[in-house]
Amino acid sequence: MFADFDDLYLRFAYVIGKDWEICAGLDEGTTQIAYKGVDFNPKLVFNFPLECTFKSTSPFGWPQLVLSGYGMDAFGNDVVRGYGTTHIPITPGRHKLRVPLFVPRSSSRFQQFLAWILGRRPEFVDPKVVAHNAGREMTRVRSQGYVNLTFNIVTKDLQSLGFRTESSEGIHPAAHDQQKSYHQLPLGALPENVSQYEDVDRM
Amino acid sequence: MTEVHVIGSILGGSGFPDESLFCKWKIHAGSAWRVLQGDQEGQTQVDSPSHEPTAYWCHPIDLHFATKGLQGWPKIHLQVWHQDSYGRNELYSYGFCHIPVSPGHHELDVVTWRPKGSLAEELKTQFIGGSSQLKNPDLVSSSSELYKLRTISMGKVHLRLHVIVRNFDKYGVEF
Repeated sequence: MFADFDDLYLRFAYVIGKDWEICAGLDEGTTQIAYKGVDFNPKLVFNFPLECTFKSTSPFGWPQLVLSGYGMDAFGNDVVRGYGTTHIPITPGRHKLRVPLFVPRSSSRFQQFLAWILGRRPEFVDPKVVAHNAGREMTRVRSQGYVNLTFNIVTKDLQSLGFRTESSEGIHPAAHDQQKSYHQLPLGALPENVSQYEDVDRM
Repeated sequence: MTEVHVIGSILGGSGFPDESLFCKWKIHAGSAWRVLQGDQEGQTQVDSPSHEPTAYWCHPIDLHFATKGLQGWPKIHLQVWHQDSYGRNELYSYGFCHIPVSPGHHELDVVTWRPKGSLAEELKTQFIGGSSQLKNPDLVSSSSELYKLRTISMGKVHLRLHVIVRNFDKYGVEF
């Protein structure tokens, strides 16, 4: 916070409702530690692959991806750089999303100084709390930086169970937009395949 | 039984006079609608951005409605509040938006406003803080009562919503 930082690693986890389960893929993990390049506009590039398959009986509790970023501060301590969360997109296709990150703030200036000196910054006990609605009213945070995510989504059997995730405009796109393809198989529950890549823009 | 899922987040707010903001939100729906799962109201965290002019909340919304009709399609009511460095909260603005009626992914910018008081009240707001508030915040989305108000424009709240509908085809509803 007092100096610009140039290294970061992210931890990711999926938060899903109780009707959901993960059939395949890692449900949490850690990226590599990335350092900024020497460009004029330096970015932190992760190029980190994510693949996951979810299965559910109801769209309630749609999966969310929760990210927590950590890095070294000037004294060599591992401190939290930001938390962020986003819902996995619901429509099949390729989606690019930008997720802003935020850190909890210390209660007072003195606490802020102590945190900087000792390297013990305020953090969430469980990062998954940012994906829930309750209990956030009293949190004070500072937002800094963002992460760029690219999602490729495939869904299965949503239409055969009566769900619509796109309006007619979306299903019959204009002639120049040819990239989407829909894989609809006839049987089974409600699985969804997801593959994602991440990169981080300047923190 | 027709069902509607609203899944998404209140991303943040921008264009306000100061940037230490939080948002109280509530989703209203007509009498034919019933909430099956999810929280209908909540309050985001207080965010003060370090570099950007936008305060980011990323507050998740996940609601599951069952409905018998299209009237009273859900609306989200927003109140943007400001918290100063002493921890005092004051209301900045009101806003509302209909949840989009088409299934799919939507990025929305909800414009907001605050009620304008008399000259004395405006001076008080400038110097002491605090602001005029509506006695009944639900009026924000009623078409018949708003003619009585004078309002001042404030910033925008950014929403990212996904809507999934189910079984409307059986009743002939075309999206």
